[in-house]
Amino acid sequence: MLTLLEQIDKGTLWHSPGGIHPPQLKSLSNQSAAKRLTPAGQYRVPLPQVGDCARLSIKVGEQVKQGQQLTDGEGFMYLPVHSPVSGHVIDISLQSSNHASGLPTLTCIIEADGLNQTIDYQESALVELSNQQILDKIKQAGIAGMGGATFPSHIKLNPASEIDLVIINGVECEPYITSDDVLMRENALEIFKGIQIINQLLTPQRIVVAIEDNKPEATLAMQQCLARFDDLTSIVKITVIPTKYPSGGEKQLIQIITGREVPTGSIPAQQGVVVHNVGTAYAIQDAVLHGKPLIERLVTLTGEQVTQPGNYWIAIGTSVEYALQQVGFNADRNQKVIIGGPMMGYALPDYDVPVLKGTNCILTPSANEIAPDVEEKACIRCGECAVVCPALLLPQQLFWHAKAEEYDKAASFNLKDCIECGCCSFVCPSDIPLVEYYRVAKSALKNEAEEKQQAEQAKIRFEARLKRLEDEKLAREEKSRLAAEKRKAAANASSNKNTVAEAMARVAAKKLAAEQESKQDKPATDKSAAVKAAIERAKAKKLANQSTISNTPDENASTDNLPAVNDKKAQIAAAVARAKAKKLAQNKATLSENDTASAQNEPVDDKKAKIAAAVARAKAKKLAQKQAESASDMDAANSQVLSSEDQFSQEQAPQVQAQSEIGTGTDSDVSEPLDDKKAKIAAAVARAKAKKLAQKQAESAADMDIQSSPVQSSQEQSSQGQAPQVHTEIGTGTESDVSKPLDDKKAKIAAAVARAKAKKLAQKAAESENKTDVESDDRINADALISPAQTETSALPVTPSNVSEPVDDKKARIAAAVAKAKAKKLANKQKLSEKE
Amino acid sequence: MSSIAIAVVVLTLLALIFGLILGYASIKFKVEGNPIIDQVEALLPQTQCGQCGYPGCRPYAEAIANGDNINKCPPGGTATMEKLAGLMGVDPEPLNEVAQEAVKKVAYIREDECIGCTKCIQACPVDAILGAGKLMHTVIAKDCTGCDLCVEPCPVDCIDMIPVEQNLKNWDWKLASIPVTVVEDRTVTIRMKQEDKAVKEDSQC
Repeated sequence: MLTLLEQIDKGTLWHSPGGIHPPQLKSLSNQSAAKRLTPAGQYRVPLPQVGDCARLSIKVGEQVKQGQQLTDGEGFMYLPVHSPVSGHVIDISLQSSNHASGLPTLTCIIEADGLNQTIDYQESALVELSNQQILDKIKQAGIAGMGGATFPSHIKLNPASEIDLVIINGVECEPYITSDDVLMRENALEIFKGIQIINQLLTPQRIVVAIEDNKPEATLAMQQCLARFDDLTSIVKITVIPTKYPSGGEKQLIQIITGREVPTGSIPAQQGVVVHNVGTAYAIQDAVLHGKPLIERLVTLTGEQVTQPGNYWIAIGTSVEYALQQVGFNADRNQKVIIGGPMMGYALPDYDVPVLKGTNCILTPSANEIAPDVEEKACIRCGECAVVCPALLLPQQLFWHAKAEEYDKAASFNLKDCIECGCCSFVCPSDIPLVEYYRVAKSALKNEAEEKQQAEQAKIRFEARLKRLEDEKLAREEKSRLAAEKRKAAANASSNKNTVAEAMARVAAKKLAAEQESKQDKPATDKSAAVKAAIERAKAKKLANQSTISNTPDENASTDNLPAVNDKKAQIAAAVARAKAKKLAQNKATLSENDTASAQNEPVDDKKAKIAAAVARAKAKKLAQKQAESASDMDAANSQVLSSEDQFSQEQAPQVQAQSEIGTGTDSDVSEPLDDKKAKIAAAVARAKAKKLAQKQAESAADMDIQSSPVQSSQEQSSQGQAPQVHTEIGTGTESDVSKPLDDKKAKIAAAVARAKAKKLAQKAAESENKTDVESDDRINADALISPAQTETSALPVTPSNVSEPVDDKKARIAAAVAKAKAKKLANKQKLSEKE
Repeated sequence: MSSIAIAVVVLTLLALIFGLILGYASIKFKVEGNPIIDQVEALLPQTQCGQCGYPGCRPYAEAIANGDNINKCPPGGTATMEKLAGLMGVDPEPLNEVAQEAVKKVAYIREDECIGCTKCIQACPVDAILGAGKLMHTVIAKDCTGCDLCVEPCPVDCIDMIPVEQNLKNWDWKLASIPVTVVEDRTVTIRMKQEDKAVKEDSQC
């Protein structure tokens, strides 16, 4: 039993299944030596040609030299693209591609300048270079398989597994094509130099140069040349194989040379075999020894429609149309221009496309060379196709399923092993374009597989998103739970003590204020006022205690609200007491002095204020009586107010706070002569702020506690202290306006959106304002808590409607901001209600 | 008489033994969940678009397994519906949506107009939109399932659904099948036939 190598040495050949013997017609083009075409004026280089993505390293208008690299990239399959000519880049745009579809692809258009400037091609000797340097040079030269598949050569030259056998493919089994034939005849020396490099990289045990027996001249030239390479004679063997189509296919050639079949789904390198084209070997030596990138190749221009058929060195990027014009092409009616051979090539929908690295032949057949497209007839199940199939498939079954678009069934008949050689179409008596069907089926399967992968990816992403949302929700809940616990603990520890202490402090403060006031008014009334205040203080204390104690067990439905509600009630009770104390003090003042005394205190003294004061006084008296009757009645009233506040917490609570803030705002207005505009702005800002606060409050009742306390403290602040605060608010408001680049597009769009919303909401807001105004007035009347100064301010909420009118630009903007805030609030509300 | 008794006893024993085996097996080989749901889900296109009325493909798969109609998936189109019909053993039904032909689309944000509201980001079921508040957003085209869900929430209508263009990578070889009407010319036809014959002779020799 001979080993494989011994059998190869002996020249044993195996049989590959199937195959056909189409008319060769090679003599059309191989009678003359390779020539060069007159250089074209314009070149179109697709970017990238091999690989999925690349970075452009040139710009439109830039000067490029011949051989200059046009792209950078890192991908596994990536190969750089080089300029075929010296000139300048006139455009980088989508141009129709040299592809069966002719779909546009990104193309760099270079106009030649005729200067023939080239980059510095660095010559180097093979012995000086390491394997890695050689591989880098091959990659940088952009060398891809020249047989037509354009697989990057440096990958095939750096395989993971041990390579025993390298086959140099000079078979060229397709009819018409003679580029490899002529290359072997004329450039055998360069090809062997390339083989030397391949030998150094792969160190195989044997290198077989396979040539079909219809190329005797090429075989002779190669054999003569081999004798000049002493180091190669022991390794390299030139094998002549019988002519049969498709012996030049990679897997078929391996089967012929070694008798081994490459299993489906694996590559030859896994069998220890690598196949390279002779053209690739030539390009490799050009790149490694002469530093020249792959910018031109030998192309067979043939067919009966050209007057000078032959092989021509054509720069990559030259237009097919231009090349054909140079060799006397006259187009026939329904002329087909085929890239590649007649068996596996494809017809171009558009001739004005560039020559690529894999373009080995441009065929222009006349009508009598290629059978015209005849009508497809029914499959008669003759089985001819199965006989000639080199991949041992069942073409009739594949056709059956492909035509029915049952692609998964076609796949189960190993459609993916079809090499699209076209043998089955060639022999089909029914003229069925079988390969067309297989191509459609293959692309459909490929797309289906891609879609499936995308669906899997989408599912993973969807599930990841759901998990993320779930985690976020849990984290939020946990956070709010912890915060609630903390609040609860804090409230339980200090609620009772604090409220009482706070009430006491407040009353003390009031008393101090009243004392001061009465001192200013008249020192004589000081004592009686103090006595009254003391009585009121005691009452307030009682009330506060009662309300806290009596309300805790029964009035509150939710335990969460418990401390907050208590707090509020206590506050209200305290406020009632406070107001009363104030009023009483005032009464005293007004009684002892004249009505004009109050005019000195307050500059805004008019009839209305007086009347209001009188009414308030009367009411206060009544109320005092009532209070004396029963404190529990008062509690009930308070709780009513509270419950109504709870009910309208979204609308009323902000109004109350807004009013209070406006009140302080106007207080400052009185004490400091601010101009009207500022006050209005302040009011608007305050309202917006109050809304926000209220919104927060509405979100969780527990928050009420925290939110109300700053409001309260601000109430307690003196009017002078409040004034600067209002100022700063105005400041920040205007600042934020200024800081927004108004001419910015985004800002404009945002403003437009906000304006649209504002218009809608302006009406609603006005309505709700009116409503709440009335409501708050009612409440105020019922409680009779309001001082003359405050009744004045209750008239103020009309001003926001003035503000909302877009009288001048600034106002409008502020109005927009207010409206935005409102819109947000409303949106939130809607969301909440939707959720509920 | 005794033979009948023996038969009864033996059969009873057998029944008991088999009952025990079956009972054990039902515990030992208990199937968690419904495997048909996974099979249905594998057929659905995973766009998570919600056009079926369920929040995602998995819930619809569950609904199908529980007997819902199989014709509610517009992105999957007729092909998916037919596969579902095959799997569920029901008759194929025409899709109930107008979108019969499912053209794959990808969302595209006109970035000049984007105001950075993040609403589309929240709507995207596969997190395929990149961006942050008040910053421009953009779609990761390769992860976009074309579900349309981001179009509705956009306040400035700057999202377009663009059909995926054919390129050299996804071309399906169907482009060349433009029907060509051949004008009948007698002399040419005759010459062609003669030449055809000549070529065939040439190939034989």
